[in-house]
Amino acid sequence: MNDKVPVIVFIGQPNCGKSTLFNSIAGYKAQTSNFPGTTVTHVHSEVLWKGKIYSIVDLPGTYSLSPHEPQEKVVLTHIFKEKPDLIVNVIDASLLGRSLELTLELLELEYPMVVVLNMIDLARKKGITINPEELEKKLGVPVVKTVATRGFGTDNLMATIENALKLKIRPTAPHYSREVEKRIAEVMDILPEDFPVVANKRFTAVKAIEGEMLAVDKFISEHNLAFKRELDRLRQEISALREAPAYEVISAERHHLALKIFEDCCRVTRPKISAIDKLDNLIMDPVLGYFFLLVIFAGMFYLIFKVGSPLETWLLQPWETIKSTIENQFGHSLLAELLIGLVQGIGGGIAIVFPYFIPLLFLMGFLEDAGYLARASFLLDAFMHRLGLHGKSVPMFILGFGCNVPAIMATRILESRRDRIVTALLIPFVPCAARTTIILALIAFLLGPWWALGFYFFNFFVIAILALILKRWFKYDSPGLILEIPSLKVPSLKSIWQKIYFNLKEFVRFAWPILIAGSILLSLLSYLQFDRVINAILSPLVSGLLGLPQSLGVTLIFGFLRKELSLLMMFQALGVGYGQLMAVITRTQLLTFVTFVTFFIPCLSTLSVLWKELGKKVALMSVVLNLSVAVVVSWLIRLVSSLF
Amino acid sequence: MFGKKNNNHKLDMGPTGGLCSLLEAPEGEILKIVEIRGGQGLHRRLLALGFHPGDLVTLENEALMNGPVLVKNLTTDTRIALGRGIAQKITVEVATGDER
Repeated sequence: MNDKVPVIVFIGQPNCGKSTLFNSIAGYKAQTSNFPGTTVTHVHSEVLWKGKIYSIVDLPGTYSLSPHEPQEKVVLTHIFKEKPDLIVNVIDASLLGRSLELTLELLELEYPMVVVLNMIDLARKKGITINPEELEKKLGVPVVKTVATRGFGTDNLMATIENALKLKIRPTAPHYSREVEKRIAEVMDILPEDFPVVANKRFTAVKAIEGEMLAVDKFISEHNLAFKRELDRLRQEISALREAPAYEVISAERHHLALKIFEDCCRVTRPKISAIDKLDNLIMDPVLGYFFLLVIFAGMFYLIFKVGSPLETWLLQPWETIKSTIENQFGHSLLAELLIGLVQGIGGGIAIVFPYFIPLLFLMGFLEDAGYLARASFLLDAFMHRLGLHGKSVPMFILGFGCNVPAIMATRILESRRDRIVTALLIPFVPCAARTTIILALIAFLLGPWWALGFYFFNFFVIAILALILKRWFKYDSPGLILEIPSLKVPSLKSIWQKIYFNLKEFVRFAWPILIAGSILLSLLSYLQFDRVINAILSPLVSGLLGLPQSLGVTLIFGFLRKELSLLMMFQALGVGYGQLMAVITRTQLLTFVTFVTFFIPCLSTLSVLWKELGKKVALMSVVLNLSVAVVVSWLIRLVSSLF
Repeated sequence: MFGKKNNNHKLDMGPTGGLCSLLEAPEGEILKIVEIRGGQGLHRRLLALGFHPGDLVTLENEALMNGPVLVKNLTTDTRIALGRGIAQKITVEVATGDER
């Protein structure tokens, strides 16, 4: 038994700081691995503590154990399949009363368990003083206080975990009111011999009662109709106790017991209204709130561009030097071209990551941890509904302005696959930092800032129209927004950094290698003078339909790799510098070109992430959608623009 | 885009109160959840979020353009944003003195 690695699962409600706690413990890690699922993910980590290895699983946040939402299904499946040696129930101590409902449900499993009172500092600020000894007595499991963002209490937690694994004390399920308990016992008695018992008979009986109308019920009636009839009778008896469905009666039992425990173990004093509460009222104000929303996001983008674009130029410089050195050294040999491809791929990755990706992830992480993204979702929900989406999609679109890649990754938090697909199909139309660079460099500088602003609004208009089209395509049956608004707080730098790190790791592991490989491949094509063939092939589209110089064909291929490469390659293809550009192409051609490059295809990194996150079919759909929109819209631009 | 905030539709429920939907309830008043109607999915979701009949809640805010309402549960000290369709399905009454 001793050489078996103990399995510990972290379970908690959303926003309880569970992942932050997990990460601060996994800091001792021996090895980390990611298992991205289709809709939800769980992270698994091998932790080395005092010479022993523990296998720790961070499950997605869940409000309850009823198999209803996708995350909850993952949690349940995991508990039942892996039979953890220990459950660590992480609780937001500032929401103890509500959080204990899940704790009581977990106690019913009668698995060894440890309860973590996280964010104990926040609870104190809210005037809640918790007596941990009293809580331990009531729950029958060890209770540990932590502040995960500061790493406070993690050593104590590990020691408690070690001890709990040694003692293997199984808690007893909570006792509900006598009338309810009587029915639970009856269901336990009539459970058929062959009924799959999960955890223990009592838990199985409770879940069978709660499973009314869910998949469980269908299973039961198919297997044992006599039991189903008896179960329904007992459900009705329970239901009659409170004139509510049986599942609500059971849930209400937990609710009241949780509140009772909360009252018995805590002293609550009303705190004074803090500055942060006042700020909260201001940013949630039905009028001023929208003003702040605008200021916050405008400020954010201004900051990123102010920092990002000079940084990008600076970061690209050494790679340019290396490139010209290679050219001088090897001339136009195959080796030189391949090396240049490699250098461009590596340099390109760096030039995305540092100037735009990291600052953006930082600011987004800040807003997310502060609790602002949930508030933005609240403010913009009505607007998004008109477009067939949820307020919950708002943060992803905002992320998309920086870079579409993390925006598509973030769609993971959307519960329905339909919403995920629609959001992910729309994100590639959001002008990311790279495309904004093109819009600024070509339209703002050559035609004037008002043209650029107009172009931006035109872009939003296209997205809105597309959203309306997609709404017809994918049936829209949104049940309406139900979103918890977490308390506003000052975010911790450590936890923001962890978020950046995890996103960055995925980019470096997945998107960057493709970027480098693609870049080398294109160099090879250009060495073989394949670019002329490409220009010839694309000619019907480029010059025929869009009325652009034929030589711009190959720039589109580069645009697929990285959008702003289209811009750089454009000068090369036309053989002119920045200043003379307007001499060789017309205003109409310029607008058509920018429109086409902006929409025509998600860049390679975006496409790879789409593929990885939502599958081949959605990635393909995205390509087709982008191409058709680009062709139609830029053709229209050509048509309209030539009228004036 | 910025519609005027409209409070006229709110019922005057008086000090003892009658039943009304959460959507029609007066802002800032302490209310008691009487019943959660609507489909099972919605019902279970709200229960899981700690919103049960009998809980005291207050309507804090509403977003523009018929946007969601912000509801604070005073019993469990949590806040959620609810779409209007959902708020409509929650029946409340003004809490009496003892309940507060």
